[in-house]
Amino acid sequence: MEFPQLLALVRSGDELAWESFVRFYQARVFGLAYHYTTQAEDARDITQDVFVRIYQNLVLVPDEPGCLPWIIRITRNACIDHLRRRKARPPLWDLPADEMFDLRSTEQNPEEAHLESVRKRMVHRALQELTDLNREIILLKEIQGLGLEEIAAILEVPVGTVKSRSNRARLELAQKLSAVGMGG
Amino acid sequence: MDEPFLSPEAALDLTQAILARTSGSPCQRLQDLACAFLDSELDTDQTRLIHSHLDHCPACSALVAALVESQEVLPKLVEVNPGPWFSQRILRATVHQPLPPGFDLSRAWKKLMHRPRIALEAAYLGAAASLMGIYLPIPAPSFAVKVPALVQPLSASAHRVAGRLVQVERRTTITLQQRIAPLEIIREGTQTAQGLWQRFFAGLRTWLPPFRKAQPSSAKVETTKIEEKKPQPANP
Repeated sequence: MEFPQLLALVRSGDELAWESFVRFYQARVFGLAYHYTTQAEDARDITQDVFVRIYQNLVLVPDEPGCLPWIIRITRNACIDHLRRRKARPPLWDLPADEMFDLRSTEQNPEEAHLESVRKRMVHRALQELTDLNREIILLKEIQGLGLEEIAAILEVPVGTVKSRSNRARLELAQKLSAVGMGG
Repeated sequence: MDEPFLSPEAALDLTQAILARTSGSPCQRLQDLACAFLDSELDTDQTRLIHSHLDHCPACSALVAALVESQEVLPKLVEVNPGPWFSQRILRATVHQPLPPGFDLSRAWKKLMHRPRIALEAAYLGAAASLMGIYLPIPAPSFAVKVPALVQPLSASAHRVAGRLVQVERRTTITLQQRIAPLEIIREGTQTAQGLWQRFFAGLRTWLPPFRKAQPSSAKVETTKIEEKKPQPANP
């Protein structure tokens, strides 16, 4: 089914269409929230809030080209709010970041799947060591695949700034990975 | 016989020694160009120079290899499996809610009325309207003013609406008087309100363009009179 038809059905209140919509976007939204918060349970709560917010504002959901950036923007705002709240009122004890061993993998071979999982975990850890700004640029550009203009609109900075910061962020990440022996 | 100056290690050492005493290490320059190099944004000459440097600099080779690997892995992090029952959790949180309507006037009105400062704002508006009604000088319209053709239909509609409002006002007043006649205080209040209401409509009547259409016959007579007063040119 084409996206505009799916969206029309969702807006009309079709529960099956809404379920399909949720299943289509949930891993993506959860992935973004997880990379922002590094806590799986927090990411689940944020993802749920994001979908509730989308459901309550179905009339505002843009059509196909703008839908994903719109959802990413909502998720990012929710993550930033969450991180601000957490910073203002930190938990009594800080649990170590969850290790998502079930990062989605398309590899069928168990050995390859394991290697892939290790590589993803290493990149994920290296991402957490980046500065907030660099991590955000990597999340939006390299992971979510947004264009420079879309990122510039979300972050409210010029396109040239996004481009230069993106190069700096990629380089910083590569240096972290190189330091732990990845890519050698 | 062994020739140490021709070995790769020796040549590398020599190059680094020369660069250290001249331009400095080119590694920083490579880092500046690494992303553009991987994105194929450099021209052939620059690409060749970078390949040449990478062949001799293990640190930069490792950096570029890490960049390549991160480029491969990062897009795969886009989706993370949140768990087997997560969809059900989202659906439970959303589907059982009623679908929000597109626009509901009563909901919007309730929302407006629930604003904490609505009473204060209403008081301000009421006071401002009263002051304007009392002190604002309303210019008396001249009946000789010609209403443009475009405005005439609007003016006629406004008059019709005003007339209708007067009728409604009269009916409302009569009904109110019948129903609340026993209460003297309220009756007085009604009379005051009626006075204000009539004053408002009197002001509205004077402010709007005239109810009656301009009288073409009188205008014509006046024009004729003016023409009559014009001095006739003397015959030569």
